[in-house]
Amino acid sequence: MARAGGITNAVNVGIAVQADWENREFISHISLKVRQLFDFLVQFEATTKSKLASLNEKLDTLERCLELLEVQVSTATANPNLFKT
Amino acid sequence: MSSDDKQVPQNIMMILTQHFQTLIPDDVEEITMQLFAFDAEDDVDLQEGSKIASILNSLKNNTQIVLGLTVSSVDEDRSISMMPEAATAATANANVNYLYVETHELFETICGLLEETQMTPVDVAKSLMTKNKSGRSRRVFEDGVEEIVNGVLNGRGKRQRAHDDQPEVQGPALWVSSERGATSSPIEYSDVHAYRLSLSEDTKALNQLNTLIQEGKEMVSVLYAYRSCVKALPQLPDSMKQSQADLYLETYQVLDLEMSRLREIQRWQASAASKLAADMQRFSRPERRINGPTVTHLWSMLKLLDVLVQLDHLKNAKASIPNDFSWYKRTFTQVSIQWQDTDSMREELDDLQIFLSTRWAILLNLHVEMFRVNNVEDILQVLIVYATECLELDFALLFPERHVLLRVLPVLVVLATSSEKDSESLNKRVKMNRLITIFKNDPVIPAFPDLHLSPAAILKELSMYFPKFSAQTRLLSLPAPHELPPRERHYLVINHIGAIRAEHDDFTIRFASAMNQLALLKTIESADIEWSKEVKGCMYDMVVEGFQLLSRWSCRIWEQCAWKFSRPCKDFVESVEMTSSVSDYEKVVRFNYSGDERKALVELVSYIKSIGSMMQRCDALVADALWETVHAEVQDFVQNTLAAMLRTTFRKKKDLCRILSDMRTLSADWMANTTKPESEMPTSQHGGEENKGNFFFPRAVAPTAAQVHCLQFLIYEVVSGGNMRKPGGLFGNSSSDIPANDLKQLETFFYKLSFFLHILDYSVTVATLTDLGFLWFREFYLESSRVIQFPIDCSLPWMLVDHVLESQNGGLLESILMPFDIYNDSAQHALVVLKQRFLYDEIEAEVDNCFDIFVSRLCEAIFTHYKSWAASELLDPSFLFTLDNGEKFSVRPMRFTALLNMKRVNLLGRTINLRSLIAERMNKLFRDNLEFLFDRFESQDLCAIVELEQLLEILKMTHEFLSRDLTIDSFSIMLSEMMENVSLVSYSSRLASQIWTEMQNDFLPNFILCNTTQRFVRSSKVPSAPVQKPSVPYAKPNFYCGTPELNSAHQSLGRLHSGFFGLPHMFSIVRLLGTRSLPWLIRALLDHISTKITTLEPMITGLQGALPKSIGLLPFDGGVTGCMKLVKELLKWQSKIELKTEILHGIKEVGSALYWMGMLDIVLREVDTTQFMQVASWLGLIPGTDGQILQSQEDGNSPVVTLFKSATAATVSSNRVNPTPFYTMSKQSEAADLLYKANLNTGSVLEYALAFTSAALDKYCTKWSAAPKTGFIDITTSKDFYRIFSGLQIEYLEDCMLVPPNNHEMLGDSVAWGGCTIIYLLGQQLHFELFDFSYQVLNIAEVDSAATGPSNKSPHLSQGWEVLLESMKKARRLNNHVFSMLKARCPLEDKQACAIKQSGAPLHRIKFENTVSAFETLPQKCS
Repeated sequence: MARAGGITNAVNVGIAVQADWENREFISHISLKVRQLFDFLVQFEATTKSKLASLNEKLDTLERCLELLEVQVSTATANPNLFKT
Repeated sequence: MSSDDKQVPQNIMMILTQHFQTLIPDDVEEITMQLFAFDAEDDVDLQEGSKIASILNSLKNNTQIVLGLTVSSVDEDRSISMMPEAATAATANANVNYLYVETHELFETICGLLEETQMTPVDVAKSLMTKNKSGRSRRVFEDGVEEIVNGVLNGRGKRQRAHDDQPEVQGPALWVSSERGATSSPIEYSDVHAYRLSLSEDTKALNQLNTLIQEGKEMVSVLYAYRSCVKALPQLPDSMKQSQADLYLETYQVLDLEMSRLREIQRWQASAASKLAADMQRFSRPERRINGPTVTHLWSMLKLLDVLVQLDHLKNAKASIPNDFSWYKRTFTQVSIQWQDTDSMREELDDLQIFLSTRWAILLNLHVEMFRVNNVEDILQVLIVYATECLELDFALLFPERHVLLRVLPVLVVLATSSEKDSESLNKRVKMNRLITIFKNDPVIPAFPDLHLSPAAILKELSMYFPKFSAQTRLLSLPAPHELPPRERHYLVINHIGAIRAEHDDFTIRFASAMNQLALLKTIESADIEWSKEVKGCMYDMVVEGFQLLSRWSCRIWEQCAWKFSRPCKDFVESVEMTSSVSDYEKVVRFNYSGDERKALVELVSYIKSIGSMMQRCDALVADALWETVHAEVQDFVQNTLAAMLRTTFRKKKDLCRILSDMRTLSADWMANTTKPESEMPTSQHGGEENKGNFFFPRAVAPTAAQVHCLQFLIYEVVSGGNMRKPGGLFGNSSSDIPANDLKQLETFFYKLSFFLHILDYSVTVATLTDLGFLWFREFYLESSRVIQFPIDCSLPWMLVDHVLESQNGGLLESILMPFDIYNDSAQHALVVLKQRFLYDEIEAEVDNCFDIFVSRLCEAIFTHYKSWAASELLDPSFLFTLDNGEKFSVRPMRFTALLNMKRVNLLGRTINLRSLIAERMNKLFRDNLEFLFDRFESQDLCAIVELEQLLEILKMTHEFLSRDLTIDSFSIMLSEMMENVSLVSYSSRLASQIWTEMQNDFLPNFILCNTTQRFVRSSKVPSAPVQKPSVPYAKPNFYCGTPELNSAHQSLGRLHSGFFGLPHMFSIVRLLGTRSLPWLIRALLDHISTKITTLEPMITGLQGALPKSIGLLPFDGGVTGCMKLVKELLKWQSKIELKTEILHGIKEVGSALYWMGMLDIVLREVDTTQFMQVASWLGLIPGTDGQILQSQEDGNSPVVTLFKSATAATVSSNRVNPTPFYTMSKQSEAADLLYKANLNTGSVLEYALAFTSAALDKYCTKWSAAPKTGFIDITTSKDFYRIFSGLQIEYLEDCMLVPPNNHEMLGDSVAWGGCTIIYLLGQQLHFELFDFSYQVLNIAEVDSAATGPSNKSPHLSQGWEVLLESMKKARRLNNHVFSMLKARCPLEDKQACAIKQSGAPLHRIKFENTVSAFETLPQKCS
């Protein structure tokens, strides 16, 4: 029976494990930062979208107002003699 | 490893870290600012600042109240997913309150600084709280404040905040969307070899099993999503029978593809079974060949078994597969006739047929494989023991694992008891009672989205296939789910929702607070290590708790679903009468959830989704905290606990010692102690002699899956001593010589280890736990119902949305987007797991449909709500208060604000701007409503104008309320659009022309005036020309006032004005038409008068011709009777009766029009006066004597101009405020001054109308009042208008008396108004009063009565003249009234009147020529 706990070269394994910890710290640090960057981009996109949406909303309103004004002006210019004072 | 090597990565790390850190907050802020520099009114920050200030202020004063309010509001809106913001506010209040600080000199500073930066009070509070523990509260508080202030001043307190104003009322929706990538976390255990634990063989087997599980899952998806092909096959018409062979070939090719998949499944299951059996056999020999099985290995076996069992279930349940197969076989025989060598194919086909048609073929095959070479009872028993233990201790952390265990256990039992001997040995290991309890506790197990399993049924059915097992009568006598007594209490969510709600509220607050602490920690450099460890540990605990909550809740939904599927609804009859047949799916879903159950489900779904999205959002924020905590846990165990154990308990046991030190070797991170130079160095690496544990610095790295795996294995080895055959299970055995204390520690850590993997797999775990996509799938029911797809009413997600819309529950409303996230989940499931495009297409189609319906119904609901709100606001509050049933007119508040702010609704990867959708629809709804109101008015008469105004007022108020939350077109623009007077040169409008049409066609001919009440009423006589009107258009109640109750209330208000036309109506007209269209209407009316007079002229000439040559005064001697006789002789008009009536009508219309003008005049005067009163003080006007108006100030500047001028001057001199707006305001005030002053002195419309009429009459002066040739008053021969009118009047009075539906009702008082006005304007008033027939008759009657004396009171009574005389008197009184009125308003001496300027403003008291051309200044009616 192959008994458990058979680490044959404990010291070497220990050194390797230690090195592994160090390396993985580096990796996880980088990966976390990348994720944060990614997160930020997602958030930035969301923010931008809602800002653009509110801008769009305002532009829509303005556009409709402008349309109305245009119609009014066109009626006025079509009958110029009415506005002679 | 040299020191340089170590140096380099660290440097890179530092550089990168710094780069990233600087990159994120600063650049981004800059970019954002640049991008949105033009978006000047970014009020979010401002609001936030003021919010903080107000919160702090309230904290200063009465924290208790704020806290109470927050708590109570939380109580009320339970079901609303609590925003983290709100939660943090609540905690802030709660926490700061503990300090009992009422006021402090630093409060002001904090307020200011908080507004400058973007910190929440919670951050402050947390920072203060942690310092406060030692009890030196006051001093510490000040320290804390100063620290924060310093931090703020140095700009360190700055945090990147979302400039995002969207409320969080939707699910995470990360499925389907491409926003986040990492959702799979591979575990391959590739580094296990490095630890040299001779586990490599185990690992190899493990990876093999995992690959099989993956493949098996794909097979399961294929089978689950399988739909019958045969149904879709075309049938050939008779005319094409000759090409039957081609069809067979085509069919064969199509089916062959599907059948090849089935063949693949058959092959796969055979190989999987043999591999599993081989794997098991390796462990079940008396002497194990390899280390293990590890716990991970056990799990893999269980999972593979589960996959096989699922496949078997699917194969049994899908009836369409054998169907398709038989069709396939038939085509094969047709097609293969031409082929050469078909024997092998035929054989293969037969094999497949046997496989498909045998129930439990997979399981039977597995059984054969397992017991082929060697007995595997040992390992089976180990698995059973392990599963039982996990279930009993509730060790399975996430619900999918629990379900796996529940599904596998019955099958395991069946396999293990397939021989007499085995069942006995099993009995030794596990008491039968334990199994039975487990089976009884979970009578239904969720397996597939719409198929449940029950252990009882499985056992029963399998007993037929495993004869040995049928001896187990106790297991076979388990009751099936439908035989069980109702266990609703356990399965139905509704019975737990209260507790869930409390858990949710509690958890949200604590999680948000932990998040805040963590965020605060990150802003502070060089934070206390102990504190930071505590904060991170707290975060870790919260995450674990969150996972457990989510797992429990999702499990509840799964189990409720399974329970509902097992108990179809039986009494659906009352709810469905339109469809004769109800599908099975409707029985289990549509009619199986009561309203309360739907509500509970919506609530639970939104809890799961909101917590899920909350946790998902902070993924990157908490990741390192979690890693650090996990690292610390592992290191603490390895370095301290194990060290202690090694020193004490295990000193004597070399074997166990070895294992323990292996554990230390493979996972200890000694160097974490040395990375910080200033820390104390660990005195000893190998445990040390001192009692206190090693101190190590945190490192944000998690152990790998392999490390966890190995640790678990080693602990297992220590505990069980490598002997699996021990009775009692894993940690239950007391026979071991390990002390209970140590055992306990090992056990705790063992459990923790298994959770570490889930924690490290953060986002995947959250996604798995919040995945509710199964609620949509119904493949089994689709197959059994033989339909392509069910209508959306049967779809559970839509049912939930529908329920929220129907229930009108303010609390549920904000959860309405949550059920849509179910669609996201199911779409993801269809794409990624089932990999079936048609399923996705179906989901997409349903979502498109549902969302459209949802938006339109939501808009209706919003509109109705705001409309009812406005309508109830407009009802008199004091009246409502005294009313007994006043509450029914009040509107329950609903919060649509959150939904109205949704600019990014994530649906199937699309981003939808719900706000703009709603705004669009609202713009349309308002226009439709206006259109409807005008249509409605056009179908009614003029009296409805008051109601129209009322409804328009309500609509306007609705608009006002709604535009607080939503940007929609301005009401005046919409109104002018619908009134069709957008054009600058059009003075009429839809409403004005309608009023005019109405007056011309209906009002003037058919209404009669009552002089006393000043009202017009409809004549009771049937109108000569019935008016054609469109029928009243139908509309939903929300086009009136919202709810039916409010409709009836406002209708009864409106009905008060519907029967007559009077001053209220005139007010409405003035308000609705305004100064723009009113002149147009007046002009139209005046033209009408002039036309009427013109048409009257020839008729009057006709009557003049019929008069006798000379008419003298009536003689007194004949008395009244004689007079009347004489009058009748004189007036020989009987032949011209039609002419007479027409003239009377004409005169009546002229009179009505003039009286109408009089009323308009009254109203305009009142309006003008009100305006004057409002304006006078601003313009500096004071009333002088004799009705004049004086200017109060001599310099000519009115107060309003002076005020703004001085304000501007002040701002300019102070130099602190931007003076530009003040300049603008100053200019505007000057303009206003000019405009209002010009409009002050308005003239009288009535006077103007009289002048106009007089001018119109001037044309006929010669005909109607001929100048006497003699120069004296012409008595006998005069044929002037007054004579005609007096003749008409006396006959009319006589007729009144005779005809039963008397004429008076037909004509009313306006005849007198018309006639007298014409007489007066022709200057014949005196003539009329002298020579009028009826006046003469009255004189005679008076003389008579004077002569006969008072003794004989009524000399005329006998003659029957009493009534006639009375009406003559009345007519005289009326005429006198009219004359006196005319004298007052239009003194004839100098025909004074007013003119109306082109702008519509009347010019007061101007003398002008009496020609019609003078009135050309009024806007033309038809221009």
